[in-house]
Amino acid sequence: MSLIWLFAILLALAVAGYWMTRRRAMTSAGGDVRKLHSLPNYYGMNAAMLSLAPALIVLFVWLLAQPLLVDATVTRMIPDEAIPDASNRGLVMSDVRRVSNGLDALVDAGRMSAQEARDLSTDSDDIRASMAEVGVALGSDVRPEVLRAAQRYRLLTGRGDLARNVIVVLIALAGAGLAYRRTTHEFRARNAVERGMSLLLLGAASIAILTTIGIVLSMLTETGRFFSQYPWTEFFFSTNWQPRFGGGSDLGFLPLLWGTLYISIIALIVAVPVGLFSAIYLSEYATGRIRAVAKPMIEILAGIPTIVYGLFALITVGPLLRDWFAQPLGLGNSGSSVMTAGLVMGIMLIPFVSSLSDDIINAVPQSLRDGSFGLGATKSETIRQVILPAALPGIVGAVLLAASRAIGETMIVVLGAGASARMDLNPFEAMTTITVKIVSQLTGDTDFNSPETLVAFALGLTLFVLTLGLNVFALYIVRRYREQYE
Amino acid sequence: MKDGRLEERDTTMQDTKIKASNVQVYYGDNHAIKDVDVEIKDKTVTAFIGPSGCGKSTFLRCLNRMNDTIDVARIEGKILIDDEDIYDRKVDPVQLRAKVGMVFQKPNPFPKSIYDNVAYGPKIHGLAKNKADLDDIVENALRRGAIWDEVKDRLHAPGTGLSGGQQQRLCIARAVATEPEILLMDEPCSALDPIATDQVENLIHELRENYSVVIVTHSMQQAARVSQKTAFFHLGNLVEYGTTDQIFQNPHDSRTESYITGRIG
Ligand SMILES: Nc1ncnc2c1ncn2[C@@H]1O[C@H](COP(=O)(O)OP(=O)(O)OP(=O)(O)O)[C@@H](O)[C@H]1O
Ligand SMILES: [Mg+2]
Repeated sequence: MSLIWLFAILLALAVAGYWMTRRRAMTSAGGDVRKLHSLPNYYGMNAAMLSLAPALIVLFVWLLAQPLLVDATVTRMIPDEAIPDASNRGLVMSDVRRVSNGLDALVDAGRMSAQEARDLSTDSDDIRASMAEVGVALGSDVRPEVLRAAQRYRLLTGRGDLARNVIVVLIALAGAGLAYRRTTHEFRARNAVERGMSLLLLGAASIAILTTIGIVLSMLTETGRFFSQYPWTEFFFSTNWQPRFGGGSDLGFLPLLWGTLYISIIALIVAVPVGLFSAIYLSEYATGRIRAVAKPMIEILAGIPTIVYGLFALITVGPLLRDWFAQPLGLGNSGSSVMTAGLVMGIMLIPFVSSLSDDIINAVPQSLRDGSFGLGATKSETIRQVILPAALPGIVGAVLLAASRAIGETMIVVLGAGASARMDLNPFEAMTTITVKIVSQLTGDTDFNSPETLVAFALGLTLFVLTLGLNVFALYIVRRYREQYE
Repeated sequence: MKDGRLEERDTTMQDTKIKASNVQVYYGDNHAIKDVDVEIKDKTVTAFIGPSGCGKSTFLRCLNRMNDTIDVARIEGKILIDDEDIYDRKVDPVQLRAKVGMVFQKPNPFPKSIYDNVAYGPKIHGLAKNKADLDDIVENALRRGAIWDEVKDRLHAPGTGLSGGQQQRLCIARAVATEPEILLMDEPCSALDPIATDQVENLIHELRENYSVVIVTHSMQQAARVSQKTAFFHLGNLVEYGTTDQIFQNPHDSRTESYITGRIG
């Protein structure tokens, strides 16, 4: 019985439980809905919930645990001597699983009875050929100990699946039965459903949290491996970034951090005032007609893929800045520069800042504007002294979101600022950022054991800490402000 | 009622402060104010009464051009304040609103401290010479708003943290602090307990010595207590306008009579 069928049965049980419990509730109230503690639906929902939720949880855990347990048992059947020199235990085990699947396929195709599959031996048949006919390709002939392990594997998995199906269905039945038994007209089904809902939402929230923790943990282990091969003082304090794939690299991250911050700050200097002012114009000054045209136009900017901005930087802005500013001022003659990437990234962020701030400013109640106008304040006084302070927490949030995006941006930097790691004050010099270097350390034929590739994880973790720090800072500002005013 | 009649005598001596003629207000297609003519005297309290939705707030908002901020609102007719047409192109609505203060129907304190709420107007209009002067203005305004005793120890706490009635009095103090010549009050006591109501009514009496006050109220008793003139609005029309005594004791229009005796509303 496949999983789909199991799901169908569970669903059918839940639906049946729903209707039966609902009916029982109605009967216990003598058909009068007003005598029930909760609406009849709630009794039904309670039954459906009690039958589905525990069964699905058990099923989920079982699906995760069974392969691990079966693997652990079967792997003991393969002696160390049986593992070929060029191979390892993992590869042999994946052979075992493939052969086991092949046996399943043979039985499904009707070429073999279940008994024959159990008794099959390498002496009598050409297993590789018959499996190829049912679409399971094997790399070599099947060795006897692999076949035996596969048969065992198949047996255990089959039994496990059967036990799983039976247990899950029993649990579902028990849940529905419990709900059915408990249903009287006094039972507080509504509260039970409410509790169930809150658990469901809690579950959803914990998935997000657990994923984050998982990502951080995996980054941490890889970073740990990196630091076991490369001194951390060098990584954090060296101002030299020169990876050499032959070994003996310099992997100081300061030039990358500098490039990241420099470019992001230029981008924010462009994006924040322009974005904020355009939001203020749109929400406070523009007439309905201008707004109807201008707002979608600005939002189109947000839909342009960053690679297109990158091309714009490479082909237009870069040469322009070089020919009109850098060269006349004697600040170098590099086409790609921090300034180019920063300006173009700033343009990319304008709609981001503007549409977030616009929503926030619009959310300030009209009554505050009226209050201020009613005291004889002008529009700009009202904006500066009433609306912006009221909207400040949201605007700070918008700016910090924009900053996070700037720090994480890659494409515009590659095309606009180049890929050379350098620490320089001159904004017309080519520099690069952490994200660009993560990409370049991981592209190509890589071996995930050398510090040159592992450094990508250390860089990634640094980036993570950087944005985390930014968010904590934002929260701090917002909270301080709230304490003062709300 | 007795001193109401006394006051009535001296109101007749006052000059006209506001003169509205043939005022129409439309919200899109909704004709909210129809043909309103009214003369509001200086140094007088004028009460607007009438059932909910009859256009009292709308007409009040015409007097300081607050309807300008509503896109769909359209105003026709003429409103003169001190013989000057306030809808004339030359008139700056910002300047006008400094002269014609307003307390809104719903309390709307700014998300600032109590002190800054009250100091907002005086700061904008440069009414204070220095910090000590500003402190005096704020204290004075809060006293007149009958809220000083409750907030004097937490002037720097947020104004939005006050109770609804306290917020309403804060808004009154805020409006008084800019020293307007005319004060428009839209149901200023709707969220207040009897004690605070009494204090606000005292404030209104006091303001009358120098200003013209227009107050919208749903309380007949309050209209009778504080006002010298009363206007009764019904479905966008100004049905009857006269001295408060006349309106309450001898209404000419049957609708007025029904309303004040509680038969329509
Ligand atoms: N901003 C607005 N946009 C559209 N229509 C409005 C607006 N404000 C008021 N109106 C309409 O104008 C009419 C008069 O409203 P107004 O607020 O002046 O009544 P009111 O007499 O103050 O009532 P209440 O005693 O309940 O405050 C109502 O029909 C209302 O629907
Ligand atoms: Mg009103």
